[in-house]
Amino acid sequence: MAASVVTWAGLTAIGRVCGHIRSRVLGCSSTLSQVSCLHTSTELNSKHWERKNLIVYPPQQKDEPRRSAEIYHCRRQIKYSKDKMWYLAKLIRGMTIDQALTQLEFNDKKGATIIKEVLLEAQDMAVRNHNVEYKSNLYIAESFSAKGKYLKRIRYHGRGMFGIMDKVHCHYFVRLIEGVPPKVEQKTGFDQAKEYVEQLRNRTIIHSL
Amino acid sequence: MSLSGLLQFVGRSLQRLELRLAQAAGFDSFGPALAVNGPQILPQSHHSSDEENSEPSFLDSIFWMAAPKKRRTIEVNRCRRRHPDKLIKVQYNIEPCPECGNMKLKHTLCGFCYEKVRKETAMIRKQISIIEGGPLNAPAVESVVLYENETPSEADKDKRIVERNRKRPYWFNM
Repeated sequence: MAASVVTWAGLTAIGRVCGHIRSRVLGCSSTLSQVSCLHTSTELNSKHWERKNLIVYPPQQKDEPRRSAEIYHCRRQIKYSKDKMWYLAKLIRGMTIDQALTQLEFNDKKGATIIKEVLLEAQDMAVRNHNVEYKSNLYIAESFSAKGKYLKRIRYHGRGMFGIMDKVHCHYFVRLIEGVPPKVEQKTGFDQAKEYVEQLRNRTIIHSL
Repeated sequence: MSLSGLLQFVGRSLQRLELRLAQAAGFDSFGPALAVNGPQILPQSHHSSDEENSEPSFLDSIFWMAAPKKRRTIEVNRCRRRHPDKLIKVQYNIEPCPECGNMKLKHTLCGFCYEKVRKETAMIRKQISIIEGGPLNAPAVESVVLYENETPSEADKDKRIVERNRKRPYWFNM
């Protein structure tokens, strides 16, 4: 939950512990930086999802199937909850971009307008930079939300108690692929149960005759 | 029956009756039944009643409040949060507007068309406010909106004319 009731003594104890941990971590990192860096970051500001648009594949051979265009787009630090955003991201997974835009247009949630803007930006990027011929020929392959950096504020309760309130932010990521969306097989509950029973039956007992 | 046997029986029955009466009264100990000036028989109730009356701390009242017994695991939480009832349902009552081609809900006016009518209405209202000059100056006759190169017709003789400096919009038919 975003809020938790804490007494003043508890918070000062937590602060002291955090200070100890921070000083210890700084001490450790200063010793390690001289030894080696296990991961090398190219630029300070670039994040993984944005960098995925920059990969360049070598030219394809004549017999290879045509690689569909993939467009990665995201928006960071949206003032919305990641759990609430997840419902909208789940709604549009696997839809064509036009269908997703109409569904979001008539949804009353705050995140719907934000995701609609992101999708329109991604569509525009696809047509301009990623050699997509028809802007409607895109479908949403991946769409998900993640937790952004929270700001912390104090929420005042009675009797001198207070809670720490989180001002939630979220990131939203989307990946568009050119082409017709793949058909997902609708599995019934009976089929799933049958598969589960088959899995159980296929188990082998080790060290047996 | 002998007299002594009868007397013994009566005595024993009386003892039993006394014991039962004593147990009913609360004296479970089988010690001396003498009334002694000692400590009170049930001292706890007085102490507890005093404490409750003097300091009703809210920490005590927590003992009678509902609280979760165990932490809800993430699997249980996911089952609740991702239940199909809680997921957003796909709407099937969206159709394209026959006028402008934007999408609209079946039982609602098209947002785009409504917006363009609203903008034109705002301009007409601005024109009316310029003509009237202030509040409460509305005339007691009907108004008619005329666009460029339009003259009032026979039916518009007694009406107030509101002029707009643009050509008639295609959707505004008299």
